[in-house]
Amino acid sequence: MAWVKYTGEPIVREPIAIVGSSGLRSIGKIAVEHLVEGLRPKLVAELYSPHFPILYQTRPSYVSHPDLPGRAGIELKGGKVGLPRVEFYSLASPPLLITKGYHANFKGQYKVANRVLDLYQEFGVGRMIVLAGYGGERGEVCCAATDSELLEELKKHGIDKGYEGPFYGFSGLVFGLGMLRKIRGVCLFGKTQPNFEDPEYPDPIATGAVLEKLNTLLNLNIDLSKLHGE
Amino acid sequence: MSMQYKIYKEPELKDPYMIVGLPGIGYVAKLSADYLVKELRAELFEEMYSSSFPPYVIIKKDGTVELLKNEFYYWKDGESKKDLIIFTGNVQPVSPEGQYEVANEVLDRAEKFKVKKLFAMGAYVTGRPVEKPKVYGVATAPELVEEIKRYEVSSMDSGSISGTNGLVFGLAKLRGIQSVCLLSETPGYMDASGHTLADAKSAQALLKVLGKLLDLKIEMEPLEKEARLTEKFVQEIEELERQTEEMRRTTAPPPPPKDIYF
Repeated sequence: MAWVKYTGEPIVREPIAIVGSSGLRSIGKIAVEHLVEGLRPKLVAELYSPHFPILYQTRPSYVSHPDLPGRAGIELKGGKVGLPRVEFYSLASPPLLITKGYHANFKGQYKVANRVLDLYQEFGVGRMIVLAGYGGERGEVCCAATDSELLEELKKHGIDKGYEGPFYGFSGLVFGLGMLRKIRGVCLFGKTQPNFEDPEYPDPIATGAVLEKLNTLLNLNIDLSKLHGE
Repeated sequence: MSMQYKIYKEPELKDPYMIVGLPGIGYVAKLSADYLVKELRAELFEEMYSSSFPPYVIIKKDGTVELLKNEFYYWKDGESKKDLIIFTGNVQPVSPEGQYEVANEVLDRAEKFKVKKLFAMGAYVTGRPVEKPKVYGVATAPELVEEIKRYEVSSMDSGSISGTNGLVFGLAKLRGIQSVCLLSETPGYMDASGHTLADAKSAQALLKVLGKLLDLKIEMEPLEKEARLTEKFVQEIEELERQTEEMRRTTAPPPPPKDIYF
């Protein structure tokens, strides 16, 4: 189960979805938060689900277990009450639907990803760019795609394939299940040193490398000095 | 739970047989199903995805992404006397509820295509070396048990068959679909790193029986090579599962962070 609360009309139709969630070294999450902060898009929808724990019983949060559903609850931030949620932000130029993901527990992962894709179809999303991380020495960015044609396109921009293996959680499933809806997508993986004590410990430098590539692809002119500074 | 489908074709089949082989112990069932698909050049007509599959996708070596899935193939006999539907995949559902759901989906197809007999495949774990694997069989009707006995199949009157392959067989009985479950002996060994070994010898014994039951000529030569490939593939999947287990740390109950209240 998952439901959507609309907070405004999307500014454009047929945007490119940008997807990030708290994966390895939180690259996807920080990247999306940085985009929201820098581009000031309009919040147009929020997705809620009873499958979103406020406290996870597994670490990292994106590797779920059928017997460990986590604990439900709310968060308080600056005196404001909030539920765990996925947020969708709309930007006019370039036409984007920035998605800040949230990992559901085991039972909810496919349901939530499919509900996100319902919304994408509603907003006319035909392409997506997923931002995430993968383990290795820090600094490089490689890619994956739903089809070889997109891989070729990325190669022209100096981004090549390079990661082979599983892609867990919110972003992986949105990316993969998008294929069944004919939503073509690419994923930019920033290479990062895994932190075994805290797998989601932020890596702003690897995030910066991913956003640099996104800057090139979409001509965003996002200021990355803050990330590099960290 | 929810299912999703990708339908490539609606084949026209005449009273087909259905063969079921999802991955399980020794990959006996999957290896057999994959081998049949390859040897008969069976055609993929539907893919099925379940929310009870493990929640991840696979980034392949070529840089493209793949979902975990189950697949239906068909093969038409020239004389339409033994058309086949072969059901296999790269994963089984994780939960019992998911296994029931997938098994019932398989049987919905069996009813839709008016399957005259269903053969579920599986492994019979011995826990000791097996020189010449015996094939055990159970069936939904006494006359079927008698029939399979004629093809060097040992009967099995007690025990349990776990997983989706066994469930398809059991649920077929409830739907009145004639059904046979063939279990081929395998040691159930793992290698030093804990990987299950694909047992080509066991699959070969099973396919020999199945070939006789269906009067199919199955060329067995390349099976050994095929087994190594399947082994490599399934080990990759297992490696993913192992990595998942390693990566996942149970933190139940988690220590409450300072800014979270109950």
